[in-house]
Order: sequence, then structure tokens, then C-alpha cells
Amino acid sequence: MGNKQTIFTDEQLDAYQDCTFFTRKEILRLHGRYHELAPHLVPMDYTNEPDCKLPLALIVDMPELKENPFRSRIVESFSEDGMGNLSFNEFVDMFSVLSEMAPRELKAIYAFKIYDFNVDNYLCKEDLEKTLNKLTKEELTSEEVELVCEKTIDEADLDGDNKLSYSDFENMISRAPDFLSTFHIRI
Amino acid sequence: MSSPLDRSDSGNGFYSDQESLRLRRAPSRMSNQNYPQYNWRSNPSDDEVGNAESPRELRTLARPMAQKKALRQVQQMRMPVSTSAKSWTHNKTKSLHKLKSNFREFLYFFSLWRKSLQKIGGNFGGGVESYFLFLRFLVVLNFVSFLLIAGFVIVPSLVFRSAGTSLNSTDDGPCMKYNPNPQGLVVFYEFFLHLLSGQGFMEDSLMFYGYYNNNTAMEEGRLFYNLPLAYLFTAVFYFAFCLCCIIAHMGTAARVVVATGGSTMGNYSLIVFTGWDYGCLGDQATKLKQKNIYYRLQVDLEEERIKKQAASLTPWRRVALYSLRVLMFLISIGLIVAAFYGIFVATEFSQKNNEKTGILGLFIEYLPSMVITAGNFLVPLLCDQIALIEKYSPSVTVVVALLRAVVLRMVSLGVLLFTLWSQITCDGNTEAMDCKMCQYNVDKYPCWETRVGQEMYKLTLFDLLVTIALLVLVEFPRRMVVDNWSSKLSQLVGRQEFVVPSNVLGLVYGQTVVWTGALFCPLLPLINTVKFVFLFYCKKITLFYNCRPALKTFRSTTSTFFFLVVLLFGWILSLVVMIYSLAVIHPSMACGPFRFIPTMWQIVPNSFYSLSKVTQEFLFFIGSQAFSIPLFALSCVVMFYFIALASIYGRSVAMLKAQLKLKGHDKQFLVKQIEKMKSSSL
Repeated sequence: MGNKQTIFTDEQLDAYQDCTFFTRKEILRLHGRYHELAPHLVPMDYTNEPDCKLPLALIVDMPELKENPFRSRIVESFSEDGMGNLSFNEFVDMFSVLSEMAPRELKAIYAFKIYDFNVDNYLCKEDLEKTLNKLTKEELTSEEVELVCEKTIDEADLDGDNKLSYSDFENMISRAPDFLSTFHIRI
Repeated sequence: MSSPLDRSDSGNGFYSDQESLRLRRAPSRMSNQNYPQYNWRSNPSDDEVGNAESPRELRTLARPMAQKKALRQVQQMRMPVSTSAKSWTHNKTKSLHKLKSNFREFLYFFSLWRKSLQKIGGNFGGGVESYFLFLRFLVVLNFVSFLLIAGFVIVPSLVFRSAGTSLNSTDDGPCMKYNPNPQGLVVFYEFFLHLLSGQGFMEDSLMFYGYYNNNTAMEEGRLFYNLPLAYLFTAVFYFAFCLCCIIAHMGTAARVVVATGGSTMGNYSLIVFTGWDYGCLGDQATKLKQKNIYYRLQVDLEEERIKKQAASLTPWRRVALYSLRVLMFLISIGLIVAAFYGIFVATEFSQKNNEKTGILGLFIEYLPSMVITAGNFLVPLLCDQIALIEKYSPSVTVVVALLRAVVLRMVSLGVLLFTLWSQITCDGNTEAMDCKMCQYNVDKYPCWETRVGQEMYKLTLFDLLVTIALLVLVEFPRRMVVDNWSSKLSQLVGRQEFVVPSNVLGLVYGQTVVWTGALFCPLLPLINTVKFVFLFYCKKITLFYNCRPALKTFRSTTSTFFFLVVLLFGWILSLVVMIYSLAVIHPSMACGPFRFIPTMWQIVPNSFYSLSKVTQEFLFFIGSQAFSIPLFALSCVVMFYFIALASIYGRSVAMLKAQLKLKGHDKQFLVKQIEKMKSSSL
């Protein structure tokens, strides 16, 4: 195209286009959003691949994430160090998986990671209780929470170990008609 | 394609990933923990990287971005090694991908109202957004159909000057008297009356069927444009085109519905894991979303309680409940029939007294539209009250209410059309006194097609006027009253709720009217496009200023499919009308492109014989049995193949699910055995 932007080289933009579901314009726009989170920390020139990570507190302040009860878990699942510090690569990756073009399987993998609060690769009862409380802002009584968690594990657990492994989760998600449209952040 | 050696000075992280790939070393321990169990591989396998299709598959890998970029570099490095033929195909696929992504960017630019839809979806949820998406689909459909009609009918009519009613007609038979625009000078207010009722100057314009002539333009003996044939084929193709668009749109929605196999309402795991809409924006919206999820869980728990209660009912109470339901069903049928009778009487009255002029005349003209709108407004309200008595479970109540509303709207339009038909063709009896001469009621309807087109035009216009009137006179005042006057009554009534199903039915009704009238009023799709665009902005304004988000959600994916099914019903109704007008009713002799032939369809055989002999033989062959029976057999075979394939897939899915269960049990058994052995060996 004809527009001269100096943030990324053409090769880098091609790489981003191949590795994510975004077009060139969207990637540049995302860089703009990443930059405005911390204008002093984030360089405008990414041609040398600077090693710059933004902390969790800045990222969850974005308007798209601010009101999401799972915002910390989302950012932690996409960060390489598990603490929520995102480089630009991981930032783009996060919004790519949450965009509307990502396939169901990819979204399911990351959804499992997000709901797995204690990072043990299983969704146990405590994970479910935490999820439910975040969802309903702790307005359900403890018996109702207990009941819903039991019913959830009943419905989804296929191998009978009283917790949900990834295959149970994926099987249950495949029956959800709304999953693709709800697990979607518009940016 | 740069070699990786150029990047050796780029940052440490990138180079070490590359090195780790080459040396096939495992990445750091920390990142292993973050992956779900299934992905227990530290290195990508060769087949992930090798083939030319991988650019697309790279995005779907669940790996951190740095690894994906490294994989891509490895891919690109392998390129120069392959043969020239492979690299040529790879280049071609690469440029195709680039073209596709450029095209996608281009389309994105043209995507209508994208930002507004995002805002609506974020603040009010997927259900309301699906209404606006449906509205956008209809706007685009109408606009494209208008371009079709303009290209094949309107522009050629203007170019070949094959339009315009000739006031001094040379033929002067008993069926030929038709004067659409009698007075020369028109009083000013009559201009508006004519605009609203489609008479006068509007009747004598490109708008209605009567303006077009049946000249087949001949220029220098070479240019030949058979306008009547074009008119007919455009109308038929318009219907086919709309059907294709609807089915294509349905296909994408149906795929999701079929893949998920339909879902039951009381599904806790789905609510917990897919209930939260990640696209929710704003403080208000998230609070409401949380309340919504809480409400849904409560509703499901409530439904369970109701089921338990219903199962424990004594037989007498059960009989009482069922008889009450039957009674309510009969009452709702009675209400609907009463509405139909009202429409029938109003239409007859309007047609009998349409000689009156002035404001009273306008009122009588619009009487059928008013009765239909009043019926569509009142009867669902009453049916809602009935539903309260019937005490079905919440999901069944919604479906029943929707079905009643759909039946009411579609058949009320059908009653209007039936009344018109009975008056035009003297109840189908061509030997009756009025219809004997010209096969249709020539005294009342010198140009009946234009009259039908006028009725449809009036319905469309009235629908829009009522929506605007409701907006200004009911919704805005309601909000002002509720916000500024705090009393028990205003709290009870509360702010307006944007009810998706009834709004969608309004759209379907409007579109059905346009389809019915398109044959008689070629500009109607354009008017409808403008109307729907206007409606979009009106509804958006009322949504943001007057409405609160609904507490009860309407599922977005299955609802799109449902809207399209209802739209298809409307299409079938208008198709019946079109087929009947084309094939059975005698066209007006005083106006239009089909005068002098007994039915509109007759133009096709007439023009057929002017084609060349070879073409005639070919078309005869296609229509004959020697061709159509093998074609039918072949399509049956193809259909059975797809049915068999679908059942095989369904069966293998069921088998795999059972296998998964068994594997889990095996795993548990093995774990128990290991523990037993451990404890016995200690």
C-alpha cells in the first residue's frame, strides 16, 4: 500500500497478519491503543523489537476490560510469565483470540485457562465457585452456589473424577450455541 | 524473504526462541505450566510447519506470539529448498491470501453501521444486536433488489420511452377507459393527499404498474427489448434472488444450531461458562448483565421447582389445568378470528366508499391499514394476559406468544389480500354481472394492478408513520414521566423495554408487504430501503434514550435462524399472491405492459415462438420427460448421499462420546490399581 508508517517494518506486519486474525490497519490501531496505555514506556518505533512489557494494572484499566469480572485472569492467561505483564506480542495475541474470527477450538483452550483459577489444568469445585461468585457479584446464597456448582459438574463431567478436565470442558462448550458470540471482545 | 541471520541483532528473546527450535530444546519450565493438558508437546512437529497451507493454520495455534513468529520464520526458511513448481504454487497461494485480506479490509470499510452495532451489542447484548443485524440485512437486500429492478425495468422504460399513459388512446373499447390524472390544476393540499394515497400525480408516474406500456422497443431493427417479458422475468428473478439470500443467510445460522444440537434452557454449565458476554461495555451494562445471569439461574432453579410441583399434582387439578389451557387457546383463536373479521369489514367498506375526496376520503382509504395495525397491537397484549393464566413454563410461553403474533400478522395481511381479490374478480366468478365483460371488475378497477400497488404502498407508509408516532407520542413521554415523576405507578410501569420479537415481526410484516407489492409497484423496494434506514436510526435513538435492557434475554444465535424462518413464511405468502396474479387473473386492458393478453404469463409462450428454431428445440428438450426424469433421479441420489453422510457423522460423534466416557472409567480403574499396588508394596 502507499502509506508510510514507521512503527513496524513490512516484514513484521506480514508476520503479525499471518499469526493473528487482524489486518494491517487493525494491528497499527492496536499499537496505538497499547501506546496510549503508557506513552512513556511504549516506544513508537517497534522495528527493533524492543523488550517492553506493561504491568497488569495498566492493561485491566482499558475500557474493554475494565468491567469484566475475569479481567485479571484473562490478562494472566496470555502473559508468558503468568503474572499479567504483557508485551505487545501477547497483547495482540490476546485480542486476536478474543476477536470474532478466532475458531471455536482456539477460544475454548483459552477459556479453559481463564476459568482455571489455581492453574492446575482442571476446573475443580473451588474454581467453579470463584467463577460463579464473580459472575453474580456474590448475590446467590451459599446453598444456591453449592447447588449450581454440583449441577454444573454433573452435567459436564464425563470421566467421573468430580472435576472438569479440558476434554470435558471442550465437549460441553461444543454444545453451546452462544459461546462464539459471548467470548468476543470488540476492539 | 530475509534470512534469520539478518535478525541476529534484534533482541535476545527472539533469537533464543529460534535457537531453541533448531536445537530442539524444551522451552522454559514456566511456560509449560500455562498450557492445558492436551498440548503436552514442547516442540512443534514437522507436519505443522511443512505444507503451504500453514499461513492460515499458524493463527489457530494456541502458542505465544513469539513461538508463532519463530515457526513462521522456519517455514519461510524452508521455501528456497523446494522445487520451482512448488514455489510457484506457494507464491500463488500467498498472493491469493494477500488478496483475500485486502478484500476483507475493503469490505470492512463498506460494512454499514459497524460502529453503531458494536455500541448496541456492548450495551444491550446479543439479542438486541441481532434485531439490528437483521434490519441491516433487509436494507441491503432491498437496495440490491431495487438496483436489479431499476436496471432491467425502469431504466429501459425511460430510455426506450416505453412509459406514460396516452390520454388519447386510439382503442376505445368498454374495458379501455382509464384516466389516472383527471384534473389539470391541483389544489395545494390535494398534493399531500395524493402523496399519501398514491393517487393523482403519483398514480401517473413510474411508481405504479399502470404507467408502463407494452411497447417492444425497436431501433433500426437491431435493438430489441421486450419490456413486458423483462418486467415479468425481473419480478420472478427478484423473488428467486431474495430466496437465495435468505437461505444463504440461514445456512450460516443453521450451521451453528445443528452443530450444537439445540440446547435446553435449564443448562447450568452453559450459563456459568458462556453466560458472560465479554463484549459488555460500560458500568451500567455490566451491572445489568450480572443481574441478568442471576435472574437466569433463578429462573432455572424456579423451573425445576415448577416441574417438581407439576409432577406432584393430583389428577383433578391436572384436569382442571388442562381444560383451562384449552379454554384459553380457544379464546386466543377467537380473538384472532375477530381481528380478521374486522379487517374484512374495514376493507370492504373502504373499497365501496372510495369515491369520497378530502380528509374523509383519506381516512377511509387508510381504514384497512389502521385496523390491521390496531389488531397487531391489541391482540398480542391480550394474548400476553391470557398466557399469564395458562401457566406454561417460561420458555414455552415465549414460543407460544411468538407463534400467535406471527399467525396474526401474516394472516391479517392475507385477509386484506383476499378481500381485494374477491372484489377485483367478483369472488372468482367471471360470469358475474360486473366481471363478465373484461374478466375483472372494470367499473371499480379500471387498472386493478395499480390499485393493489397503492394498497401496499399505503400499508408501508402507514407502518412507518405509526412507528414515528409511537416514538414521539408514547416512548419519549413515558421516559420523561418515569424519570421525573417518582410515584408508585411510574415505578410499576418503569422504562420501556426493547422487546426484540415483536419488533422483528414488524420488520417481517413490512418486508412481506413489499414483496407482495413489488410486482405492481416497482419503486416499492426503494421506498422500503429508505423506510428501513429511517427506522434504524429511530430505533437506535429510542433504544439509547428510552429503553432499559431487558431482564429476560433472547438468545442471539438461535434467534437469527428463527427470524429468517418467519421471513421465509412471509416470502411464501407473497409468492402465492404473485403466482396467482401472474397465472389466473386477467390483466387490465387499459393500462400496463400486459394489456391485450389473457394472463400475464402468456407473454412467455408468445415471445417463445419468436426465438430461433434451435433454441426452441433445446428448450423443449429441457422441458421434456427425457431430460427432467434423469435429472430428478440424479438429484435424489445426491440428496440421499448427503443424508447418509450426515447420519454417519452423527453416529460417529455418539460413538466418540461413549469412547470418551469409557476412557475416563479406564483411567480411574488404573489409578485405583496403582494405588492398591503402591499400598500393598509398602
